[in-house]
Amino acid sequence: MSHYLITFLSALTEASSLFVAAAGLTLVFGALRIINIAHGSFYAFGAFAATTLVGSAAGGWRFWLALLAVPLAVAVLGGVTEVSVLRRVYGKDHLAQLVATYALFLIFGDITLRLWGSAARSVAVPAVLAGSVTLDGGEFPVYDLFAIGVAACVGLALWALLQRTALGWRIRAAVEDRELLASAGTNVPLLFTTVFVIGTLLAALAGVLAAPLASVAPGLDASIIIAAFIVAVIGGLGSVTGAAIGALIIALFNTAGVLWAPAWEPAFIYLAMIAVLALRPWGLLGRAER
Amino acid sequence: MATFLAAVRGRRAPAAVVALIAALAVAPGALSQAALLNVQDAIGLALFACATNLLIGYGGLVSFGQGAFYGIGAYTVALAWMHLNTSFWVTLVAAPLLGAVAALVVGLLALRTRQLYFALLTLAVSQLLYVIVQQQESFTGGADGVFGPMLPSFLLSSGNAYWFTLAVAAGGLLLLWQIARSPFGMTLRAIRENRERAEALGVNVFGHQLLAFTFSGFFCALAGVLSVVWAQSANPNLFSWTESGYPIFMAVLGGQYTFLGPALGALIYEQARDVLLASFSDSQLVFGAVLLAIILAAPDGVAGLLGRGGRLLARRWPARTAGGQRAAAGTAAAAGAGAGDGVRRQDRQDRHDARTGGQQDRADGQEDRVARS
Repeated sequence: MSHYLITFLSALTEASSLFVAAAGLTLVFGALRIINIAHGSFYAFGAFAATTLVGSAAGGWRFWLALLAVPLAVAVLGGVTEVSVLRRVYGKDHLAQLVATYALFLIFGDITLRLWGSAARSVAVPAVLAGSVTLDGGEFPVYDLFAIGVAACVGLALWALLQRTALGWRIRAAVEDRELLASAGTNVPLLFTTVFVIGTLLAALAGVLAAPLASVAPGLDASIIIAAFIVAVIGGLGSVTGAAIGALIIALFNTAGVLWAPAWEPAFIYLAMIAVLALRPWGLLGRAER
Repeated sequence: MATFLAAVRGRRAPAAVVALIAALAVAPGALSQAALLNVQDAIGLALFACATNLLIGYGGLVSFGQGAFYGIGAYTVALAWMHLNTSFWVTLVAAPLLGAVAALVVGLLALRTRQLYFALLTLAVSQLLYVIVQQQESFTGGADGVFGPMLPSFLLSSGNAYWFTLAVAAGGLLLLWQIARSPFGMTLRAIRENRERAEALGVNVFGHQLLAFTFSGFFCALAGVLSVVWAQSANPNLFSWTESGYPIFMAVLGGQYTFLGPALGALIYEQARDVLLASFSDSQLVFGAVLLAIILAAPDGVAGLLGRGGRLLARRWPARTAGGQRAAAGTAAAAGAGAGDGVRRQDRQDRHDARTGGQQDRADGQEDRVARS
């Protein structure tokens, strides 16, 4: 029995950073109607900046500083990107938007390579979170529990933001009808920048959160953006709850794949996505595109 | 070739197209072997890009998974050789058919979704094949790909390989062009412009899109065969989503609203990539910046710029108006556009509006029509 709990918690750990990244992606899509491929770059910036700030030697407070400061710094970059580039492609078709964010992805990719090189890097877990706890006769790392907790907090915070604040109802209104919102006196361009900054913040936070769990190396941006896309699409683009469900599904599929069919494991997430879209072309909680 | 030239001339395509074909025909005599190989690669990619653009530019269907059919084409040749020792000439015919069947199956599933969901579902299909090919080493050769003497000795000489690639790609492009300018192609564009209106007119939207997807799969697989002729091997990367991205960039670069725009994009991309790799250590950064500049400043690509340049010339030198207008009209007409039924006329009008939004260009568009009627 114990194995099942440990396995489930491992899946949940994997789901946690996936959820945080996909929530940012889906939030941006919901309000701005763009698929932001550069979201993966912001995630990678978060992870790489954490390696610089924390380093591989165990350093107590530096990790907490990274967890706070890195997402904020990357969010500023996100804001600059939105104002300088993305504002110019809102009126264009989906293809132009995809190619524009892919161009940003390429540019940021080379910048990451230039700044941090091509060697794999790592982040040390702070002393408080370094050990492991005994659960049902098995060992489970404390940091993994912490990651799950952070993801849960992010989920709750997003729910509160969207449902309980004035900014939240504006974001939801922008999803429904941005023209009406603009004519009702909301500064929609500013709102879009705000949403994009929040999305970037979440991407970088997910990057910092995932950095101690695996090695940080080039290619991180490409792998996370595919995973985040799949999670967001399975859940339904625009739905934060959907992103949570999607992250859980993907993590469970991956864990099951590793356990029962290692040779086919990489194929599982794509199969999951194809299966979900075959049954529900708009994702689990998404709504039909016009 | 003669019909191709006649067709091009009949549609008043710019002299640039004829010049390009002439340049490609004399290239073996003028270029070094390495440069010729590069051009050969670009010709194969031109077919890949135009086949993809049947979906993107004509159908408004952004598929991020055409690498799947490209890879199927290449691996049909490689695996049939490896396991069955099948002759290349057999797989040359079989591969596009297999690509078409695969596209039919994928299309049945993927075309139920729309827009971004469609883009991401097609991406998932190509990624699925990518990881399967990488994992099932005993059958596919795994991450290293398939190497070996899979080509007939005729194609091992660089000159023959070049002429073969040029002939197959030109034949493929000619067929694609016939499809694009047929009533079927026109209906496809009508669906792209206004799906609801087309549906209301009684058009079977799903059927048309499925057929377009199947055609595209056919020609993408044919381009995949050409990639084997070029590389003399098959690599799993052909299936990856980054490979699927190339024809999209080529279409954007060259111009997705003209038939040969993506082919132009492929030629430019292939040449520019070498220059970029040689002169910049951060070639991706420069490529990204160029892509971004095109999206922001010239959404209809290089072909669109040429078309606008042609119209500008026509205004500047009235004495040469006829020729200038013909060139300008030809760029648009290369897409098979013509003054025809209402849907088509509306389509051109919409496109002009969407692309430029300028009154001046609208007037130019009308001039084009007058010039041709």
